[in-house]
This record gives sequence, structure tokens and C-alpha cells, in this order.
Amino acid sequence: MTDALVGLTVLFPILTGLICLLFRSRKARGGMVYVTAAVLIVSGLFFLARGVGPIEYSPDAGWNSLITALNYAILVYFAFVAGRDILRRGASRHSVLSLVLAVAAAIPVAVFQFSGMSHGASGASPVLYICHFSMLRVVLVSFVGALICIYSLRYMRLHEEQQTRLGGLIGTRQPRFFFYMLIFMGAMNGVALSNNLLWLAFFWNLTMLCAYALIRHDETAQAITGAFRTLWICLIGGVCLSVTVILAWQGPLNTLSLVTLVEAGAVAYPMLLLPFALLCVAGFTRAAQPPFHRWGIRAALVTPAPARAMLYPFKTIGAFIILYLSPAFHGTHLAPFLAVFGATGAVAFALMAISQRRSESALVCSVISNLGLIILCAGIGTPLAMAAGVMLIIFLTISMVLLHLSTGAIEQKVGGADIDDMEGLARRQPVLAGITVTAMLSLLVAPFGILISKWAAIQAAPAIGTWSALVLVLLILSIGASTVFWAKWIGRILCERPAPTRASREPFVAQYHGILLVLVGLAVLFSLLIAPVFDAIVGPILVDAGYDPALAFITERWFLRTAGGVFAGWPVFIGVALALVLPLLTVRLRPETGRAAYMCGENVEMGSDEFIAVGDEKTELKTGGFYMEGVLGEQRLERLIVPAGVVLLSILIALVVI
Amino acid sequence: MNTGWLIGTALIAVIAAPLIGGWLKGIDRRLTARMQGRWGPPLLQPFYDVIKLFGKNPMVAGRTQTVFAYAFLGLTVTAVVFFALMQDLLMLLFILFFGSLCLPLGALSVKSPYSQLGGHRELLRFLAYEPILLLAAVPIALKVDGFSITAILEHGEPLLPGLWLTFIALLIALAMVMRKSPFDVSSSEHAHQELVGGVLTEYSGPYLALIELGHWYEMVLVLSVLGLFWAAGSLWWLSIIIALLGWLVILLVDNTSARLTWSSMLRFAWGAGIGLIALNIVLIHLGWM
Repeated sequence: MTDALVGLTVLFPILTGLICLLFRSRKARGGMVYVTAAVLIVSGLFFLARGVGPIEYSPDAGWNSLITALNYAILVYFAFVAGRDILRRGASRHSVLSLVLAVAAAIPVAVFQFSGMSHGASGASPVLYICHFSMLRVVLVSFVGALICIYSLRYMRLHEEQQTRLGGLIGTRQPRFFFYMLIFMGAMNGVALSNNLLWLAFFWNLTMLCAYALIRHDETAQAITGAFRTLWICLIGGVCLSVTVILAWQGPLNTLSLVTLVEAGAVAYPMLLLPFALLCVAGFTRAAQPPFHRWGIRAALVTPAPARAMLYPFKTIGAFIILYLSPAFHGTHLAPFLAVFGATGAVAFALMAISQRRSESALVCSVISNLGLIILCAGIGTPLAMAAGVMLIIFLTISMVLLHLSTGAIEQKVGGADIDDMEGLARRQPVLAGITVTAMLSLLVAPFGILISKWAAIQAAPAIGTWSALVLVLLILSIGASTVFWAKWIGRILCERPAPTRASREPFVAQYHGILLVLVGLAVLFSLLIAPVFDAIVGPILVDAGYDPALAFITERWFLRTAGGVFAGWPVFIGVALALVLPLLTVRLRPETGRAAYMCGENVEMGSDEFIAVGDEKTELKTGGFYMEGVLGEQRLERLIVPAGVVLLSILIALVVI
Repeated sequence: MNTGWLIGTALIAVIAAPLIGGWLKGIDRRLTARMQGRWGPPLLQPFYDVIKLFGKNPMVAGRTQTVFAYAFLGLTVTAVVFFALMQDLLMLLFILFFGSLCLPLGALSVKSPYSQLGGHRELLRFLAYEPILLLAAVPIALKVDGFSITAILEHGEPLLPGLWLTFIALLIALAMVMRKSPFDVSSSEHAHQELVGGVLTEYSGPYLALIELGHWYEMVLVLSVLGLFWAAGSLWWLSIIIALLGWLVILLVDNTSARLTWSSMLRFAWGAGIGLIALNIVLIHLGWM
């Protein structure tokens, strides 16, 4: 049973990825992608339904040597590509650091294995640990990953057609692209299931390899630079993970098993605080938290949309691992610090998102901000906060992947990625616009799950004492800022000039609209069913973590009841349906009610954007969004965020070492 | 509590709130006129206005804006109903915010220079007051040990003595909710200014009436939140006096101050408003309040 789970979710995608690479025909590729998607979705749902309880599992010893060898191979490959880049393009900060850090990540593992220290290490700890938390991660990655891969079949074909038109692409790079996309899913599932730190490090590095390869897929100068930037920043996390291996083995418990470390906890074993802190730093690099945020924003600008979407679960790995560790350091001074750290990132990037003109970088800012919220929840660490964190992950994965994919589709249609290019999309592409606006609303208004999670986080925050004043202020400012950011963007999509024309009809493309509609449906359905979702998915995770789910939520008549409040989910849904959906479906206007926009009486004619300006000249009206670059611009905020991030990290290290 | 009782309470709230709101608006206009040395309209003028607006022919600049006019009213009413049913304070604030967002979304859905300007400024106004209202729920919850309005009413003593810092912050937020000077950056009751009608420029006739009704609900709801500061105990009727006093202060400030720029408004809201509440939370944690 466990064999089947691991085989289907980890090895199978890697196998089909190899087939995509070897058999280069389009049909073979499409077939492999559909088969993998079906297998991943079905097996994920099957194992979720069967409820695989906490199981420790170790494959044959032979696998250990293979994993070890492959781990070195990946690091050597990183060093090799960095070295090659230095020879080809000259030494740059990014490639030199990649080279140095790839070597640095290999050294601790090598010291551990060849100094005799590791005697008995590989067999001592269960290699894989399958619990409700890791199952949730596997299901999320498998499900959204599968949809992303199906989406990319069409996207990448159009993407390459465009590249060929512009010149510069000979042949096709799709086999390589799908090779990395498919093994990316296997690798992320591997990270979710790994328990032995050496295995975790291998899968961790494997996901990094996929991210690197996908970011540089277009092979432009910016893409290559972006890939190396990602590589070295994420390799800092790799180095942390390698050092953790030694610290955990030499530590009081003499183990490489993550679950053993978490169950022991840092309260009983203060020595474990350092490895936990290092794992958190590794998580920060992955989740692109300040000061490690720059790779996320830059990489998004050069990566094709489906790969960008796949980088979302890649970033969430960081939030997952911190949330998983949360019970282990709950009660130490690391916990409230982590809450402040997460809240700082959340508010900084919610503000920075407002100033972004390009949809990709704006989305990434929002992602970083939301991942900061999850880290905040991990820092608070009460059962309620933990539940809020897990629910945030579930709902964010659906909505964020949805938005990455829909903006990708819009970008191909509209031919630009600027938020201002989306003006009037509601008339040009009504279905796509409707999907995108719904996805955005799911991130910012009640009664969608993300807001309910934030509601829970506000209630949980006072538990950390006096520091909660700071955390709450930052948390609430981040909610306000992100609301403004999304509302502004929705406003651009809905903006249209008064004209008697109707919205144009939009052809239905299954690989785009079908997938997007599935995700929208899930976002709405899960929010409506939030109480059963909590009972079925989040509750068991809390039990595994040693918490009583009743201390988080009591579900009663599908209401979520906390110690201090109650969220009446479905009555709010009814209110929203009556207030917004009903008029949306029923309002009918007679054409003669239409009027041109007010332009001080200087309109040229109804249905035209023009007005009569100085010298009776007809001038076209142009509108755009507020970006407030003078106040919230990236350059300006970076000057605050980077030092703040460095200071906070230094405090973290200081706290742990002292 | 049985279902009939719940429905009855909700109905009373839905009917009474606009009556109170419109009447207060009438007093507002009268008092403002007196402060400016004018006689002012009859007390019931706001009702006449809205009735007249409903009778006008609809003229719209797009279907989306009308949908958002309905949604603004509908969601604000929903928030009022949840208040009347004594639900979770945070939850009803979130619904109120969703309603408030419909206004800028409606304005932004029309490609019109003044509407766009007003819509964006409305979002900045939202950014200024939304955190204050949300954060204000936290010290209240710390005092009464829960976020539901029932918990506040069951709390034996009035909240104002321990939470007067939060109360002052809420007054600032109230001025922003009511779009009063110095926080009227997004819309203006007077034409010929840089933003004309701002967020309301493209609304007219029945749809403007819907929005006006929504404003009345919104104002009554926020005044009710102010009233919660003295809602418990035997002197519960003081809550009405306190809410009205707060409202009078806002009127006075409205007539004695000029419009702030959006950046000064944000600085003031985030500095003074949020600062006061954060201080209140710290003092509660330290046991000094």
C-alpha cells in the first residue's frame, strides 16, 4: 500500500518525465502528461479518502546509496553549470555565488558521510513518514501540478509558435520543459513524504534543479541570470539543510528523523533550537521571505506562465516546513520572533504589490505576502493559528495557481503582461475576466476561505502576549493593503468605456477555460464547505501535531466556532449571493438608458473615448491605475526591506545561539 | 432564541436603520447649514431626495456599475442584519468592507476620468480606515474575552473607561466612513472641485438612491459600534448619547477643517488611529488598562 503510494506519486512522474525527454513527439508528450495527471489525481484522492494514518516506511537499503549518489550529482551539476556560465559570460555575482554555495552545500554532507560520523545513520531513521500533513501536501501538489501540466500543453505550443515567429527559436524545447515539469511534481511529493534529513536534502535539491531549469527555459540573458539568482539564494537553504543533518545527528537525540525531532521539541531539548532555526531559514529562502525575496520577483518576469504557476507550490514548501515545525518550537522565544518576521514580510510585500505594474511581479509580491502570513501563523503556534495556517495553504494554493494560469492565458490573448493592458477585459474576454475576478475576490473578501483563515489568525494572535500588538498591526495592515491591491486590479479588468455594444463571445478552450473553471469551482466549493473541510482535512493534521482540534474550531451547523467568535459561513454566502450574484444575473438595461461618461460636456460622441481638448482638437481619453511608485516603489521599499530582513535574521541567529 | 424572533429582529433593524440614518443626515444638513450661517433644508429633506431619485429615469454608463450599486446596498444591509443578530464583530466588519469595496469597484468599472480618480481615492480612504476598524475589535475582544457582540453585552461593565484610546481611534475612522472633511478625498458634495463627484460621478437617479440608502445603513452601523462602548450595564441608554456625541464631534470637525491630501490622510490614520489602538493593546497586556 505504502509502496504503491510512493511509487505512484513520486516515481511515476519522474518516469513519465524521462519518457517525455526521450520520445520527442508531441503526441507522446501529450499522452504522458494526461496519463500522469490522471494517475496523480486519482491516487492522491484515493489515498486521501483511505486516510493513510501515520506510517513510517523505509525502502530497501540500496535506495539510500542511490539517493546519496544522486544528491552529489545534483550539486556537482549546479557547480558545473555555474562554472560554465562563468567561462561563457564572465564572472557575475550570481554564478560565482551559485558555484560557491553548491560546493558549500556538498561539504557538510560529505563530512558527515566520510568521517565515520554517519555510522548507522541511514538505517536508523525511517526514510519516509506518511501522516495527514504530508498527505495533504501530496494531494495539493499532485492536483494543481496535474492541472498546470495539462494547461501547459497548449500554453507552451503557443509560446513556442510566438518565439519562432520572433525568430530565435530553432526546433522545440518542449521535451525538456515537460521533463522538468513532471519530475518537479515527483520531487515535491518526495519532499512532502521525506522524513530522513538526507532524503529530504536530496528531494529539496531536486526541486531546486527543476526550478532552475524551468526559470532558464527561454535561455535569454535575463532568464539565465534569473535562474542563477534563484539557484544561489535557494542554495543558502540547501546549505542550512546540510548543516542540519550534522547537527541533528550529533544532537541529543542522535537521529536524522524529522518527526522524532519535532515530537521531542525544543522546549525539552533546547539544543534542537539551532537545527530548527536553520530549517526555518531554509524555509525562508524557499518562501522568498525578506531578505531572500528577490529571486521570486525577478524569476517571475522571465518564466513561462505554467512554470511560474509551478513555482508557487515550490515556494509553499518553505511555508509547509515552518508550519510543520511549529509545534516543535512553540513555547520557545523563537516562536513570537517568527510571528513578527512573517508579519513584516506580509505587510511589506502587500504594500509593494500596489506599486507593481506587471501582473507577474504583482502576483509574486502577493504570494510572498501571503506566505508571510502562514509563517506568522506558525509563529503564533496555537491550535487555532495552526489550523489557520493549514487552511491558508489549502485555499491559497487553489486561488494562486488559478491566478497564475488565468493571467498567463490573458497575457497570450492580450499580448502584454501589464496590469493596465487588462483594461476592459470584461468586454473582450468575458469568461476569462469573470474567472480572474472571482479568483481575485476569493483572495480578499468574506466568505472565502482565505479571509476566514485571516479572521482566525487575528483571533489567535493575542496568544503571544505583548508582542501581539505589533503582530496584529502588521497583520491587519497587510490585509488592508492587499485588499487595495486586488481591488485596483479588478477595477482595471472591469473598466470599460460606456458603449452600447455587448460583450464579445469567447470561444471555449478546454485546456484553458476547463481547467480554470475547475479551480474556480474548487475555490468556491471549499469555502462553502469550510466546516466539513476542517473536520476532514485540517482536524486530523492537528491531532497528528498533538493538538486538540476542538481548541481550534468547533464546527456546528456548518459554522466555525472558535473560543471567542463564530463565523457563520453559509448565511454570509446567502447574503453575498443575494447582494452581488443576483443583480449580476438579473439586471437588464434598455439600450436607451446608456450615457457617455462625464467629461465636462466636452465629449465627442457616445461610444467614443475622445473628448474635445484645447484648440478643439479631439483627444483620446486614457486611464490607468494608481501605482504610487514614489511612495511604495520597489526601489524605495527595497531600501527598507533588505536591511530589515537582514536585521531580523541576525536577531534570529543571535536568539538561537545565545 | 427561535427563528421567528431572529427574523423579527433582522426585519426591525433593516427597517429602522435607514430611518435613523436619513433623519441623522437631515439633522447633519441642518446643523451644517447653521454653522455656515444658512437656514438649511427641512429635516426630512434626505428622504425627499431619495424618493425623488428613485422616480427618475435610469441613466447608466455601464451595466457593471449598476450591479455594484445593488451589491453595495445589499452587503451593507447584510452587515447590519448580522449586527442586529449579535454575531461576530470581526465577521460583520469583513462583510461591511466587502460592501464598501463595491463602491470603488463600481466607479472603476467606467472609463471616466473623474470616476476613475474618485475610485482610486476611495480605495486609499479604505486603506486608511479599514485597519482602524479591524484593529479596534482586538482590544474589545481582550476586554470581554470574545469577538461576538453578545460577549460585549454580557460583559458586566461599560468598555469606555478601559478603551478610551480605542474610542478616539474609532472616531477618526467614523469621520472617514462618513467621508467628512478632512477625510473627504474620494467624493465631494460640491461640484467644480478637482474631483467633481468623485466616486459617485457616474451614478445618477435610482442607482444613486441605492448608494445613498447604503450610506445611511453604513453610518448607523458604525455609530452602533461606537455605542457598544457603553452598551453593557444598567446605564445602557448612555450608549446612544455617546454615539451621538461622537457624531456631533465629527460634524464640528467637518465644518472647521479643509480636505487633507491622501498621503496626509494615510499618515494620520495609520499614525494616530492605529497607534492609539496598538498602545491600548499593549496597556491591556501590561495590565495597566
